[in-house]
Amino acid sequence: MIADAAPVVVADSLTKRFGSVLAVDSLSFELAAGTITGFLGPNGAGKTTTLRMLLGLAKPSTGNALIFGRPYADVADPALRIGAVLEATDFHPGRSGRDHLRTLATATSLPDARVDEVLRLVELEGAAGRRVKGYSLGMRQRLGLAAALLGDPELLILDEPANGLDPEGVRWLRDFLQAFAAGKKTVLISSHVLAEVAQTVDQVLIINRGKLVVESSLEQLTARVGGSVRVRTPERATLQQALQREQIETTIVNEQGLLVHGVSSEKVGDLAFAAGVPVHELAAEGSSLEDIFLELTSEPQP
Amino acid sequence: MIAQANAELLKIRTTRTTIGLVLGMVALTLLFSLLSGLLTKAPSLTSTEDQRGLLSVGSLAGVFSALAGVMLVTSEYRHGTIRPTFLFTPRRSRVIDAKLAAGLLAGIAFGIVGEGLGFGIAYACLAGRGIAYALDTGQTLLLVLGTLAGVALWGALGVGIGAIVRNQVGAIIGLLAWGFVAENLLFAFVPSVGRFGPIHAQNALMGLTSKHLLPAAAGGVVLLAWTIAFALAATAFAARRDVS
Repeated sequence: MIADAAPVVVADSLTKRFGSVLAVDSLSFELAAGTITGFLGPNGAGKTTTLRMLLGLAKPSTGNALIFGRPYADVADPALRIGAVLEATDFHPGRSGRDHLRTLATATSLPDARVDEVLRLVELEGAAGRRVKGYSLGMRQRLGLAAALLGDPELLILDEPANGLDPEGVRWLRDFLQAFAAGKKTVLISSHVLAEVAQTVDQVLIINRGKLVVESSLEQLTARVGGSVRVRTPERATLQQALQREQIETTIVNEQGLLVHGVSSEKVGDLAFAAGVPVHELAAEGSSLEDIFLELTSEPQP
Repeated sequence: MIAQANAELLKIRTTRTTIGLVLGMVALTLLFSLLSGLLTKAPSLTSTEDQRGLLSVGSLAGVFSALAGVMLVTSEYRHGTIRPTFLFTPRRSRVIDAKLAAGLLAGIAFGIVGEGLGFGIAYACLAGRGIAYALDTGQTLLLVLGTLAGVALWGALGVGIGAIVRNQVGAIIGLLAWGFVAENLLFAFVPSVGRFGPIHAQNALMGLTSKHLLPAAAGGVVLLAWTIAFALAATAFAARRDVS
């Protein structure tokens, strides 16, 4: 990541205490312009509380949250630089989608024409005149996104945007975010499911119990995936010897089964072919990104 | 601030809440004006004070403008729209000020409709039954303008109550319990204190002269003071509290 300018978002020892509960515990990170960051952690890890502090809705107990170098409330006309969606359900059920957007556009002196533009952008123009109470969750998610996009922001902050979306909706959101970020824009997107954002983000912040556990690029995280490959072959011993010659670790599963560690299934297949060993089954197995994520977030913090 | 006030007025106009409140107000005003205008015995409608009572039925509009003000804030907390509202306008005092202004303007509209209807029906009943109109021009003006001012202030007062309480049901119950029960009891048992309550201040402002009420001007000042006190508290509360 090239930090060619001041970071767009800075969390500096951000801490939030609710009574005796430490929801966010001296969390520090920076987001550079043009990055898509996944903000991950299990439910209750402190993600939403952190986002609320970044967006000026909650005051940090200690520490600072800066966006474009200043607290959110001090950014002039913030909707023109920052778009955010915290809940997919923040609508008056009796107001039409279009009117919802008009109330927000009016507050920032944006014309109604801009409302119609963002409705087209999220493909909601057909339902815009209907009252929100008749909207599906996916439509509400898109209406929330439309509101965030009204001011054509440079930074988008989305809290669990894929929640409740069907697979098609998730794909739509992914395509949308990639197109959005292509214009040197910055995205912070939270999720409790890594797989939801793994294809979208280029770096991840993983928090657990209010603390930062991992801050890395997606490649670095993927590199930690120590998967194994399961092979079934009638000539197990021959294959095992061939693999051992390449310093590849193996574990015997049964008469015909072998687990091969630390290499791709392609590599195992190629070596078996070179050794003239027939392969009846070949499958990558074990820790996926999700397993790593679960492992990172389930261990209790010291 | 102007933009935010326009946004708040748009919020009022884009749900059915407002039209429901207006219809409720019109129905109640029609009912009470017609009942008391047609059924009250003529000898009980001859004095100035009797006629003031009949002609001021339209002040019921104050209840509805206060409810509109309460809803303008509490429905945002109830439905979560307060989050996008504060994201677009993070200076919360600006949002509250805009809502106070919108509540005041909505209150004026409620007042014009409610008082116009109530006064019109009452006047027509008196004329239709051949009862001589007893108020002079000054008294009539005080009644009409005092009612209008009171109803308008209740719109802003409702915003203040809503912003302090935040919970919609709690705020509405609190408002109605105070307006219809608590303050009346206070006035009945401790009138020297009860007359400083906002309802009785408004009664005074309309020129009602029943025993223990403040003079009209003092009533206006007291109602304005209540409104300002609630407005300041609302701004302070909104700025301090986290939004979940």
